[in-house]
Formats: sequence, structure tokens, C-alpha cells
Amino acid sequence: MAANVRKSIPHLMMLVYVVIILAPFLFILFSSFKSSNIEIAAHPFGLPDKWVFDNYKEAWVKAKINVYFFNSLYLAVSAAVVGVLMAAATSFALTRMKFKRTSAAIYQFVLIGMLIPGNVLFIAQYLLVTDLHILNTHWSLFLPYTAGALPFSVLLIAAFMRAIPNELEEAAIVDGMGVLRMFAQVILPLTVPALVTVFIVNFLGNWNEYLLSFFFISKDALRTLPTGMVQFRDAFQMNYALVCTGIVFSVVPVLVIYMFLQRKIIEGLTAGSVKG
Amino acid sequence: MRATLKNPYIYLLFVLPTIALYFLFFIYPMLTSFYYGFTNYNGLNTQDFIGLDNFVNAFQDPDFRNSILNNIYILLFSCCIQVPLIVIFSLLISNVKRLQGFYKTTVFMPSILSTSVIGILWGYIYDPDVGLINSILKSLGLEPIYFLADMKWALWSILITNAWQWMGFYIVLILAAILAIPRDIEEAAMIDGATGVQRAWYLTVPLIKPVINVVIMLSIAGALRVVDIVLVMTGGGPAGATDVMASYMVNQAIKYGDYGYGSALSIIIFAIALVLTALYQIVIVRRQEKVEY
Repeated sequence: MAANVRKSIPHLMMLVYVVIILAPFLFILFSSFKSSNIEIAAHPFGLPDKWVFDNYKEAWVKAKINVYFFNSLYLAVSAAVVGVLMAAATSFALTRMKFKRTSAAIYQFVLIGMLIPGNVLFIAQYLLVTDLHILNTHWSLFLPYTAGALPFSVLLIAAFMRAIPNELEEAAIVDGMGVLRMFAQVILPLTVPALVTVFIVNFLGNWNEYLLSFFFISKDALRTLPTGMVQFRDAFQMNYALVCTGIVFSVVPVLVIYMFLQRKIIEGLTAGSVKG
Repeated sequence: MRATLKNPYIYLLFVLPTIALYFLFFIYPMLTSFYYGFTNYNGLNTQDFIGLDNFVNAFQDPDFRNSILNNIYILLFSCCIQVPLIVIFSLLISNVKRLQGFYKTTVFMPSILSTSVIGILWGYIYDPDVGLINSILKSLGLEPIYFLADMKWALWSILITNAWQWMGFYIVLILAAILAIPRDIEEAAMIDGATGVQRAWYLTVPLIKPVINVVIMLSIAGALRVVDIVLVMTGGGPAGATDVMASYMVNQAIKYGDYGYGSALSIIIFAIALVLTALYQIVIVRRQEKVEY
């Protein structure tokens, strides 16, 4: 009996923690189906009297959540893909090609980037995109997002590529393979686990980014989800149910990805912080 | 045979785009920050070199000093309150067998979400009319609290939200370290009759000290990086009660176009970050002997 009680204490404490994490989500989810603020205030945790699905249609189309959603999606995916490919090519050159000294210097140079906290560069990047005349276009986000992911991506992918045995590429050379084909058909396929990890980390970072996208984009049609959501909240401040619907729209895709790839995601995000 | 991997054109093709983009969006902005920091550039007039004026002004600016103070509160809160809780929760999770995966997944979840969405979400929880906390307060017959508009509560509200988002991330970091400790050490202690709490305090905690140090370093860096959540939840208000260095810097630059002054502030933030992490390394980490097992 006593042993049983002692065994359940950790579970009890964790239960409190889990409730604190999940309660806000339930609150938002239930609220998004409720018809009015009065109903939300009356029973915050009760199920809705009548499940109202209109909020979802209204938020998706009228409040332009769909626009924000696809902007975010294509920016996050394209910047992450380009970043991963650039980092992979560079890591290949740095770790597998025979320019040892230059490579070591370039590697150090790129890693300096990990020392610089992102928001320190904010003003200078703002002035830079203004000078490049790309303020208020998606380029002003795509380029910093891609660039911002490079140091971490090179660090991780290079570490992975170093571990690939030399014999493989020697065999490839003997078979008469050129360096480009070797990269694309021998090394890259072997690096896929690292590439996936880096892609996920970059994708999540871009999908969630707020500071740059808020200040670099002022056209509503170009906004991404995190900034569009803030705009949306300010516009519909009094309609809580509708804003809760917006939150559901922006949280659910990430949670679905997380459900399937949680191990990869946790591994990637924590690896980035410990090494950096 | 080695010639294939010595092709300089391919090497350049693979390396140059990365270096160019990295230089343009990392190194060049860093350099221009230093340059603008010493000018009175405001986007309109000619830029004059004004020496250290911006830096002198910054330390005499009561609003900026106030925002430094808020960063210090955030830092103290994360190091003195969050870190011990993080260690306790990781020990708890490491001790259970059933549901361990579920706990890990759940506590980690908030850290993959957008800070701005979390800011909006918690804004509703703190809402005086329909918010979760105030609904509970009201049902207990208490007056509603204007969490985000009240000077007394605003910073606390942000601290709680920030902790809610990030604690799980660090718990998972420390949990991984605990689970990597070889089982036989623990078993030896059990045979010697050490209780669960004794094993945790005398055995596990000393063994995971390096990771705790990493977590503290990350917390320091994180405390200086806080900005999204402030901009989304309060915009620095009420009356600067939640302004942090980065949010103050962003507002100076964007709202008032004071790029020179803003750049000087960003350099100060960078310097503080470097000094704090270096100090922590020298004072704390160097003194501890390396643990091996």
C-alpha cells in the first residue's frame, strides 16, 4: 500500500504539469466552437451548447487565415529546402573535398554566426532589405530565413558527413564517377537522416518566426500566419470565438507534424541547442 | 584519383552561395550595426559620426535602464525558479516507467509552437472578461484581475507564459542526460540503501551538472532574447512595465526611425550577452571538476 502511494506521487505531480500544458488548448478548442463571448465566459471549460462550425468557415475565408496559412507554408518550406540544399553542398565541399586549410577557415567563419543572437541584427537587416528594395516582398523574409539557418545546418550536416567512411567515395571514383554525381548519388542519400532533422528545425523556425515578418511585411496579402494572427486578433478583438478558431488553424498543422515526427523534432531541436 | 575531389570550380560552386548569403545577412549587418551605432542615422538626414553619444545616452535613458532591469528579472526568474523546477520535473519523469513517453511529448509540445500564437492564446487566458483565470476567480467570488494592464501583474504574466512555453524543452534536455547515466550506478546506490531522494540529490544531480550548466547558459541567452512574447502580449506596456531591451530597441528603430540609437542598443545587447555567458563559463563552469562515468 505504502509503496503504491509512493509510486503514484511522481505521476500525480506530472499530472498537474500535463493539465497546465493542455488546459489552455482545450479552452481554445472549446471556445472556437461556441457562438458568443457570453457562452465562453459562462462556462470556460464546458462543452459548447451547440457546436458552431461557422467560425471555421468565417475565419478561413473572411479573416483571410487561408492567405496567411499558404504564405507561411510556402515561405517556410522553400526557405528550409533551399537552406538544407545549400548547407549540404557546402558541408560536402568542406568535409569531403581536398581543400583542408580553406575548408577549416570557412567552417570557423560560418560558425561565428551561431554566436550572434538573431534580434541583434534586426535593425541592420531592416536597413539592408530596404536598401535592396525588397522590403514588403517575400524575398525580405526568404533570404534572411535561409541565411539564418545556415550556420546551424552546416554544423549538423558537416558533423554527419565526416562520419561517412572514405572507402565509399574511393570506390565511386574508381568507377569513374564525377564529383557532382558522387555528391548527388552517394553522399546525399547517406545524409538523409541529418537533412531531415535540419529541414524540420528550419521549417519550424520559419513557420513560427514573428519579428522579421511583422516589420518587413506590411501588405496584408503577404503576411505570414504568426503576424497575420496578431493582426487578426487586433481586428476581431471582441469576437473571442473567431480568434480562438484562428489559433486552432495555426496550431493544428504543427501538432499533426509533431504527432508523426516527434522523435525527429525533439532530437533536432535539442541537438541544435546543445551543440550551439 | 584524388583529382576528382580537388576540382576547384565545383568547390567554389558548392561553397560560394552559402558564404555570400551568410555574409550578406549575418556579417555585413553585424558590421553595419557597429557603424550605425556611432552615427545619428534616422533614415532621412545625412548620417553624422557622433562618437559614443548613443552609448552614453543609452545608459542615461531611464526607459532603457528600466528595460535592462526587466531583462534581469526575467533572467533571475529563469535561473532561480525555472531551472530548479526543470531539474525536479526531469527527475520525476526519469523515475516513472509508465507514461514516460507521453509526459516527455506533452511537456515538450509548447516549445514547437509560434511564440506569437502562444502570446495570443495566453492573452485570452488572462483576459479580464472571458479569460480562464478570471472565470475561476469570479466563480470563487473574487474581483477580476487585469493581468496584462496592471503594472503589478504584467511582467509576472509574461514570465509565466514564457516559462510555460520553454520549461518542457529544457526538461527534455535534462531527461536525456539522466537516462544516459548507466543503470549500475543507481543499482549500487540502491543496494547501499539510499532512498529515492538521496539518490537523486547525491548521485543523479552531480552527474548531470554539465547539462544543467548548458541549461543555465541557454536560459541566460534566452532571457536576453525575449522579445516576441512582449511585443505580442503587451507591446512593452503598461508604461514600460514589460519593456525588455530588444523590444525597446525595435520600437526605437521602427516607431521613431532612430536607427543610429537603435543600433547602439543592439550592440549593447550583444555585448551584455557575450559578457554574461563568458562570465558564467569562467566563474562557474571552469571551477567544477569534470565528472566521468
